[in-house]
Amino acid sequence: MFDLETSIADWRKQMLAAGIKSPVPLEELESHLREEVVRQMKSGLSKQQAFEAAVQQIGLAKVLRKEFKKVERTLMKKIMIILLGIFGILIGPGLILPALAKHRDLDVWNNDIVMPLVAGIIILLAGVGTAIYGIRRSRA
Amino acid sequence: MIRKELVAASAEPMILSLLAQGESYGYAIIQEVKERSGGRLQWTDGMLYPVLHRMENKGWIKSRWGESETGRKRKYYSLKKDGKAAMAKHHEQWSLVHSVLAGLQKEQYV
Repeated sequence: MFDLETSIADWRKQMLAAGIKSPVPLEELESHLREEVVRQMKSGLSKQQAFEAAVQQIGLAKVLRKEFKKVERTLMKKIMIILLGIFGILIGPGLILPALAKHRDLDVWNNDIVMPLVAGIIILLAGVGTAIYGIRRSRA
Repeated sequence: MIRKELVAASAEPMILSLLAQGESYGYAIIQEVKERSGGRLQWTDGMLYPVLHRMENKGWIKSRWGESETGRKRKYYSLKKDGKAAMAKHHEQWSLVHSVLAGLQKEQYV
């Protein structure tokens, strides 16, 4: 005898085994599955037929997993780019400010002052550029 | 049936345009698209969700968990400001493609 709740529980297990995460997006997919079962039953299918049609309509776990993974990877990449930018923005002034302080104290421009100053400015600018690129990319 | 490449390319503008009319959820979005296209624009249902999540990551739409009429959990999506701008851009591009095609088609019958 077909039992809808048992079948949905089995379907959830298959999805989880294929790597679809819970609660998101699995809860959302289950909610969709249930609505489709109801619609199919209203159109005249038996509970079992409606369930099978809805499962097919939702798609294979493996294929869905691949798509969700792509979304996650893109998001991670964007976060990494922005973090790299923030890192540059923090490290840059960390080199610039002590160099300027040293120049103020000694009133000279030597390699010990100029090198970290230039490096700090480059790192700061690179950081700002990277962060802006990351933010713009995340909205594209 | 419309080719899958075209279905995929039109997914974002379709979703944005539907959400411009108000908050909605995955199942309703799919049914609305099916209905409006006379069943010719069909997605594999599950594939809608990665698209929605990607659009949410881009800051175009936002989501919230709510309840369905039967008391079950349901995730609702709505358009954000950046989504409106993205929709306008999509419309502009699709209009251009359409006008070029329509122009070429017209010339064939002259």
